[in-house]
Amino acid sequence: MTTAANLLAFLGLVITLLIVWRQSWPARLRLFVAQSLLLAALASTVGVLAQRRGLLLVAAVVVVVKGLIIPRVLARIGAGTAVRPVAPGRSSGITLLVAGGLVVAAYVIMLPVTSAAELPTGRAIPLAFAMALIGLALCVTGRDALGHILGFLVFENGIFGLAILATYGLPGIVEAGVFLDVLVIVLIMEAVVVQVRREHDSIDVDRLRELRG
Amino acid sequence: MMLLALLVIPLSGAALSWRAVGRRATALHTVTAVLTLMGALAVAVTVNRGEPLVAFDGFLRADALSAWMIALIGIVAALAASEAPRYVAHTAPGRFYPLFHLFVFTMLLAVSTDDVGLMWVAVEGTTLASVFLVNFERTRASLEASYKYLLICSVGIAIAFLGTVLVYFAGIEQFGDEVHDLRWTTLLLLAPGLSPRVIELAFVFLVVGYGTKAGLAPMHTWLPDAHSEAPAPVSALMSGVLLSVGVYAILRFKPVVDAAARPGFARGILLALGVLSVAVAAAFLWTSPNYKRMLAYSSVEHIGLVCLGLGFGGALGTAGALLHVANHALAKSIGFLLSGRIRAAYGSAEIAAVGGLMRQMPQTGTAFLAAMLALIGLPPFGLFVSEVMIFGAGFAQGFRAVAGVALVLLVIAFAGLLHGVHAILYGPPVREPAVEVSGWRPALPVAAALALLLLTGLAWPPGLGDALDRIVAIVLP
Repeated sequence: MTTAANLLAFLGLVITLLIVWRQSWPARLRLFVAQSLLLAALASTVGVLAQRRGLLLVAAVVVVVKGLIIPRVLARIGAGTAVRPVAPGRSSGITLLVAGGLVVAAYVIMLPVTSAAELPTGRAIPLAFAMALIGLALCVTGRDALGHILGFLVFENGIFGLAILATYGLPGIVEAGVFLDVLVIVLIMEAVVVQVRREHDSIDVDRLRELRG
Repeated sequence: MMLLALLVIPLSGAALSWRAVGRRATALHTVTAVLTLMGALAVAVTVNRGEPLVAFDGFLRADALSAWMIALIGIVAALAASEAPRYVAHTAPGRFYPLFHLFVFTMLLAVSTDDVGLMWVAVEGTTLASVFLVNFERTRASLEASYKYLLICSVGIAIAFLGTVLVYFAGIEQFGDEVHDLRWTTLLLLAPGLSPRVIELAFVFLVVGYGTKAGLAPMHTWLPDAHSEAPAPVSALMSGVLLSVGVYAILRFKPVVDAAARPGFARGILLALGVLSVAVAAAFLWTSPNYKRMLAYSSVEHIGLVCLGLGFGGALGTAGALLHVANHALAKSIGFLLSGRIRAAYGSAEIAAVGGLMRQMPQTGTAFLAAMLALIGLPPFGLFVSEVMIFGAGFAQGFRAVAGVALVLLVIAFAGLLHGVHAILYGPPVREPAVEVSGWRPALPVAAALALLLLTGLAWPPGLGDALDRIVAIVLP
């Protein structure tokens, strides 16, 4: 159980690093789908080994919401976006280095949790938290709406993974709230992006610069 | 039952008015708002007369702290609702009314549940329900504001989720699976046995997360944009009660952290964020060229003061903080309502464009002046009393340095606000406004809120002191 959960969380982190590394949009989207499917695998592994039926349902919902619906919406948003060349002065080497630093930070921040944990899955918690931290960094440094959304979704995947590892499934209403939340956010983002595109002929949110002071 | 009815009213109001148009929509809106207010006050009175209200096996629960927030939400929602038809008359009504009541519903739900997880879901719901209201006018600026609002608050609320997960984790780690449906009431009983370091880490995430919704600096960056671009009734709701719902969420966790973590841990964080918020607001109140943004930064300042009161603690600080939440809700909501009328008359939210307001719109100008004097914290209005309580607690608890610094920043902030208000009321006139809305109807909500502020400032009505005592007993068990 420990090994399986660790391995899945580790693979999730590797995919997060690949998302940081890859610059092209379709590749990033595919990686996000892979990460979501890994999350579903993690949920069902923990569900089977800890005998939590609820987690199998959660895994199924992850596959549907994050593996099918959200990628479809994202593809719709991203259709027609040119593949962005790497911005000068921001090589992916340096961003990867920053991501590596965040992994270390995740281990340091989660020390109280790992030292308290007697759960067999406790060791994998910092890995999930590192995913969340890197996602947050992607979200904050994202240069357009797609970058922001993708970063947010990776962040959310990390936190969700952490929740599974730390609690073996939250009460149903919370799980439902989380899924509804992510889905609605992505849909609202789409509506916003459509409007930005109409107003500015671009989804570059750097152009949203009217409000100051 | 009563609690359930309170939640069903705005929800069914939202559902019924989803397709309603014209007069029917306005009538439904008015009925829903009035019923919500009556329900909220009924719950508040019942809880303060007897025991907490409980429904669904404790899933919904309203104690004195909930009742305080419920009453505030009801009152501010009624104030904002009274202005909504006037606002909607200028634009296409669209989904304004249903979203308005949905927004009120999510806030009521957040403060009337005993379930840690459901509260999180409801607070998240407040963002989703209000984001379209912020972008209601569909201008470039409101689009930008709603984008920022959605993104920053979603990240914030996800961080609060992380904190909630860690609280669950601490509970399960110590007490096994029976704590799986985590309730405040159980959590408080278990708190002394929870792992202190995990709870401390969780509290940091919770403060950052819910603090984003509360508009605490440095997580406040969405706030001035959203508050200034949203329609006036929505700004009133957001500034008056949405921010306080964020504070409420933090406040619910505080007794747990006080029992589980090192002494003074929660206090240190709250004091630091409180001082920082007042400092940020003090700087921006001087430089803001837009009066709605000015009001928004004033909210950051007052939420900072509330945080300081909670941080100083003791019965006096806690009661002062809660009273300040109420006073600020009343004063700021009418401030935003009046700013909406000013904006409608002049067609601009720039301070420079509305100079000479006092001469050109005497009724609105006088009301605006009264609301601003209340916000500045002058007697005879209630904010003066609650600020005296907060700072009295600071000095009494021995935080002379923190209280002193905050007091200096407060003076700077107030001078900034006064400076802006002076420019609006007596500055050189630039434009000729449209005809002022006058008569008793638009004056009524403003007069009602000012009267309530006079009550909290001069003569507490019977029951107010008791209500605050009951809350203190909850927050400082």
